[in-house]
Amino acid sequence: MSELTLLVLQLGFLLLLWVFIFAIVYALRSDLFGQRVRKLQPEASSAAPAPAASAFPSSPVTPVPAALRAPVAASAATSGPDGELASSENATRLVITSGTKAGAEFPLGRDEITIGRSSDSAIIIRDDYTSTHHARIMLWNGRWMIQDLDSTNGTFLNGSRVTVPVPIPLGATVKVGATTFELRR
Amino acid sequence: MSDVTGTPVATGTPPTGVRRIRMPQKLRNLEFWLLLVACFINAAAIVLVQLGAMRRVDTQLVLLGAGLSVLVFGLHIAMRFVARDADPFLLPIATVLNGLGIAMIYRIDIANGEAGWESAAVRQIAWSAIAIIAAIATILVIRNHRVLFRYTYLAGLVAIVLLLLPLVPGLGREVSGARVWIGFGDIATFQPGEIAKIALAVFFAGYLVRNRDSLSMVGTKFLGMKFPRARDLGPLLVVWALSMSVIVFQRDLGTALLYFGLFLVMLYVATSRISWVVLGLTLFVGGALIASQTLDYVGNRFANWLDPLNPERYEQEFGGSYQLVQGLFGLANGGLIGTGWGQGRPDLTPVPQSDYIIASLGEELGLAGVFAILALYLLFVARGFRIGFAGQDDFGKLLGVGLAFVVALQVFIVVGGVTRVIPLTGLTTPFLAAGGSSLVANWIIVALLLRLSDTVRNHPRLVIDG
Repeated sequence: MSELTLLVLQLGFLLLLWVFIFAIVYALRSDLFGQRVRKLQPEASSAAPAPAASAFPSSPVTPVPAALRAPVAASAATSGPDGELASSENATRLVITSGTKAGAEFPLGRDEITIGRSSDSAIIIRDDYTSTHHARIMLWNGRWMIQDLDSTNGTFLNGSRVTVPVPIPLGATVKVGATTFELRR
Repeated sequence: MSDVTGTPVATGTPPTGVRRIRMPQKLRNLEFWLLLVACFINAAAIVLVQLGAMRRVDTQLVLLGAGLSVLVFGLHIAMRFVARDADPFLLPIATVLNGLGIAMIYRIDIANGEAGWESAAVRQIAWSAIAIIAAIATILVIRNHRVLFRYTYLAGLVAIVLLLLPLVPGLGREVSGARVWIGFGDIATFQPGEIAKIALAVFFAGYLVRNRDSLSMVGTKFLGMKFPRARDLGPLLVVWALSMSVIVFQRDLGTALLYFGLFLVMLYVATSRISWVVLGLTLFVGGALIASQTLDYVGNRFANWLDPLNPERYEQEFGGSYQLVQGLFGLANGGLIGTGWGQGRPDLTPVPQSDYIIASLGEELGLAGVFAILALYLLFVARGFRIGFAGQDDFGKLLGVGLAFVVALQVFIVVGGVTRVIPLTGLTTPFLAAGGSSLVANWIIVALLLRLSDTVRNHPRLVIDG
């Protein structure tokens, strides 16, 4: 075994070590630079719900057919701004009311719900208008509160921008990016 | 990361009658390939040590190392069943660090002419096996980290008992001045303080979640910062007194700094008040300055740090700067790419396989190697913070940050001491240094972080694609 072979092997070892490190860095790039942004199709907001519903028939989230959704939305609008506040007793689910997954439901537990583009959010919204960590909904003294996490495009509760954590009324419209949702019984 | 969430919708428990779709375990498969590379790196390191130091390959130790790889894959398989969504990077990183440590300890054994079952490398492999089995047990037993929240005060009690154990007459052992070891007769010396740091992280997390309101809400504004009320200073003072008693009675500066730093960071994360950090650092620096004036061993450490190349200090028999300077010479000898495995003289430095393993690695792998090791630590700690950040509950968040920070601070104290950034204090380099208790503690930290990351990802989620 000559000196030269040893030197080459040694350099090879250092190289291997760095390849390992860069393999890890490459694998977690989405954590460093955020999720890749997908362009919003212009017709996406109106046409998408139907294909989305047929694409995942086995998913536990059952999108509400369009015909059923309209009256629900109407009744929600009436109880909207001045309805009672959502608490751990009276709210059981979060319902997406517009956007590509309109009609999808998300069960409310006791844990906080993070919303954003990052893959570790509870509700992941991947569009141009959502920040990596956009907002969160958490229980505070039994009330469901929404907090904006300093997002670029803001979080809106009944049309007004959320600056400090505020309680969410039942059926009030919360808007994040191009998606709106509300808390229901 | 994006892998698991690329799947459309996975919400809650599926209604009965609906067949569960078997999702491919993309995270686990990624971990599998990284582990293969990690085990190859470890085997290559041992073979290169043999080629460099002995010019021949001895298969016995390579086989022992391979046995360790089997155990690591055992942990991987256990995770396929009980922690499918856990972070895929922690395990490969810990494996590589552990393997590099074993290779360097083996290299120093060769230099010292030690071999067989009495040598430090074989003992290190045996301890690694115990540590990985402990990690497997942890991930199998603790299925939800919130269980730990229930035992907050028990964890605090365990930490105190573990800290006091070395002071018990007959049980405690004193090694190079520090009284932080316990032993039974001649066998199995163990540093209970290493395990205590996990118990302390659990205790601090649980305690701060329960009590942070009084620590963060009220206070008076002064110098642009909101300072806490005098009566809320209790916990900080208690932990400070604990750290100071570690300095005085156990004569261990590094451990004291580790515990106090851990508490300070968790307090800051829990309350987001910078005034706690200012107060805490003032207290600790004040205490350390008083200790450096009154306690000989602390004063020596400071003097060596400020003026190591003074011949008087260098030739001093006890508490001189010989070790520090030899370590610096070793690092300088390594240069940019190092002397190569088995071709330097790291054995000239006292305790090259434990406290000074980073200097030994720096000599043989050079700056490129040391930076690679630091990058591995950086990635490990970043994953830990990430897990804490993404946590759904406050206890999990604090625990994740605490466990990750304990590793970061320990690396900083050791590497900073060896490279003369801060005064040298004796602490083990996580995963690398020879020492069973440190390995067991750090592998349990890996298991806890894996468990936390699995709980984070397992949460019901809804994906909305634009």
